[in-house]
Amino acid sequence: MDGRVGLRASRRAAPTPRVAVRSSPRHRARVREQEPVVSAMSGSGLGKENKAGSSTPLRHRPNAFSELDNATPRVMLRKIIQNQPQVSPLALQTVQLEETEDARPEPPSQRTSSTVELQLPDLVPEDASVTTFRMTRKRKKLSISEFERAADKRLPQNQAHSTLDSTLVRSLRMSVGSVMAPDTVEKRGLLRRPQNHKAIDIAAFEGGVEQNMLQIKAQDYLVDLQTSSMTGTTTIRTDAEVVLNNTELFVEPQLGEQNLLAVEPQLSDSKTSAQRSNTSYPAHEKARLEGLVSRVSTDERRTLRFSEKDLITDHEHVDGITQKTPAKQGEEEQDHSQQNDPMEQFSESEEMAGTTEHHADAEYSEHSEKKLSRKAVSQLTAAQDAGVEMEMTPSEGGVAEGTEHQDSPKAELQMAGSPGGHSPASYSLEKPGAKPLKEAVEQTGEIERGTITGVLDAAEEEATDDESDKEDHESEEISMKTPMFVHAAAYRPQPVLSPPHPVKSASPELPPQPVRAKPVPKSSGAAQRKTREPEIASSLIKQIFSHYVKTPVTRDAYKIVEKCSERYFKQISSDLEAYSQHAGRKTVEMADVELLMRRQGLVTDKMPLHVLVERHLPLEYRKLLIPIAVSGNKVIPCK
Amino acid sequence: GSEAAGGEQRELLIQRLRAAVHYTTGALAQDVAEDKGVLFSKQTVAAISEITFRQAENFARDLEMFARHAKRSTITSEDVKLLARRSNSLLKYITQKSDELASSNMEQKEKKKKKSSAAKGRKTEENETPVTESEDSNMA
Repeated sequence: MDGRVGLRASRRAAPTPRVAVRSSPRHRARVREQEPVVSAMSGSGLGKENKAGSSTPLRHRPNAFSELDNATPRVMLRKIIQNQPQVSPLALQTVQLEETEDARPEPPSQRTSSTVELQLPDLVPEDASVTTFRMTRKRKKLSISEFERAADKRLPQNQAHSTLDSTLVRSLRMSVGSVMAPDTVEKRGLLRRPQNHKAIDIAAFEGGVEQNMLQIKAQDYLVDLQTSSMTGTTTIRTDAEVVLNNTELFVEPQLGEQNLLAVEPQLSDSKTSAQRSNTSYPAHEKARLEGLVSRVSTDERRTLRFSEKDLITDHEHVDGITQKTPAKQGEEEQDHSQQNDPMEQFSESEEMAGTTEHHADAEYSEHSEKKLSRKAVSQLTAAQDAGVEMEMTPSEGGVAEGTEHQDSPKAELQMAGSPGGHSPASYSLEKPGAKPLKEAVEQTGEIERGTITGVLDAAEEEATDDESDKEDHESEEISMKTPMFVHAAAYRPQPVLSPPHPVKSASPELPPQPVRAKPVPKSSGAAQRKTREPEIASSLIKQIFSHYVKTPVTRDAYKIVEKCSERYFKQISSDLEAYSQHAGRKTVEMADVELLMRRQGLVTDKMPLHVLVERHLPLEYRKLLIPIAVSGNKVIPCK
Repeated sequence: GSEAAGGEQRELLIQRLRAAVHYTTGALAQDVAEDKGVLFSKQTVAAISEITFRQAENFARDLEMFARHAKRSTITSEDVKLLARRSNSLLKYITQKSDELASSNMEQKEKKKKKSSAAKGRKTEENETPVTESEDSNMA
């Protein structure tokens, strides 16, 4: 607006320091009083610190207000606030900026409106303050001397001099003037401070609001807060669908099962977003082989992840599969676990959770499958150990390491050293490393769940024999890893167990190439000779599939499903290889995976990759994949 | 103002393109009809042409993505080959055609550079093309 510009320019030209001093702190104080939470007064740099009352700004500027003993801005502000209607913070900020400008009477103006500033209590702007301020903007010229005079009289005078064009403007002036102490020492430095209000207002405001709300109602508002905060950080387009992409890091899940919701905040948000996204992207699911699994089931998955106890109860339907576990358990050879039963339960629940994860992340399987297999496995294992365990024992850590060792033989299978930590992160989700998974699950067997260790065992066996087909092996890992990973993520925050340990051990492994001299599994000794092509454990596929279908499925159907999933993984791995080769590389990178997802229609202009990542991956992996997630935000609720 | 006019112009252009595709589709359908002794209804032809048009848009976007993925700003035959990966037979066909084109280009260059009988001898060799297999993966 011209008025504003004019004011600004004039302000800079030769504003009275007094005026400037008066206006800026007054604005800030006023804003602060009305919006204690909002720290929008950033212009002068004081706003940021302002969370408290009006006295804050004063303190920051001792020189300016040293003479305000009698009429503290606080008192002034109080009067103003009592008499003025509340306005939205955003509008207020805009207003505030304008106020600031208007408060700087620059060039000699013909108005004698300066008296306006004095009126405090009367000011009740009839209209919205925004309107008021806009009107003030029109007043370009205000004589400084007049302004000062007005400021001098400001205290109790309730004169209704309407030299101004409107009472509104006058009221504005009055409020502004009242805050300022006429005798305030002028500070040149203060002149320019309020200039940057606009730039920071909204962001600071949102932050302040967020904090305020968080403090007041921690959990109920988390969703809203996170959304708003994330909106600033993510690049979600304002699209109807995109709006549904709730990318909060921590959102309280609206689960019926509550138990460990608080404990697993990171999962809750994914769950919520999953819930929302479920309806949005059904097509993707159907398109896939795993499309049999509806997105809605991700809710279940999340639920599983969230509550350990719930997992047990929720897996009733999985009990049928549990029977197979004992049979398969005998097959295990590299079992480090001595707790098969609990592990079964755990693995079952994990797989259940992982199933949804698996399906949901089927698209993510493209994420550098090859490279991440090993790391993913070890990572998952470690993560699982960290998260799952109800009774964490050091054995878990040991087992995790053992699992990692197992990974080393698989290292050969990997296409090439995975370049980034992020790849492993995403990959680990996908990779249901049969062998290491089993181990990890076994290790975490402490948890009393009737999981299906058999699945893992079978996978382990097959994985052991694999040296031939990287892709299949990796796909195995993918399916196996998912459930473990999910569970690991679910249980990670539990303080009882020593989660940080395994997690830490896992994370460092991600980036470096785990070329360990892992002891070759005994089972693979003879079996390796025939170099059997690695396959995804059929029991795993059955488990995942039946979990989502929720209806009885014939064995033939399972076979077909298995064939389809195998074909699917082959195809995507081949695509990934072609893409990386197209870029002249020998290593599959995240760019390749993203390209594939874009081609598949999972990543579009409306749905960026990191939104999907946030939606489907646990926090640890998100941190690896999305820089924002590791920007040092404080997690609320922090536990 | 100008944007609206540009948008309108673009819309007109798009419509013209659609019409061109529709006409070509109709012509091709007619050839096939004569060849196979079947008839094509108008709705069929219209559906095919619309699908073709939309798919062409998809191809363009994918091709641009592929080119950018390879850190290039020009779409090349490599990008096209990558695009055709979905269908094995199509990929083979395209690869074969591109080889033919490349070889013919080379021949022309060679002819320009050296107008010797050796170039002609090479040309006859390159004319042999591999037989195409009819395996189709349909894994789109």
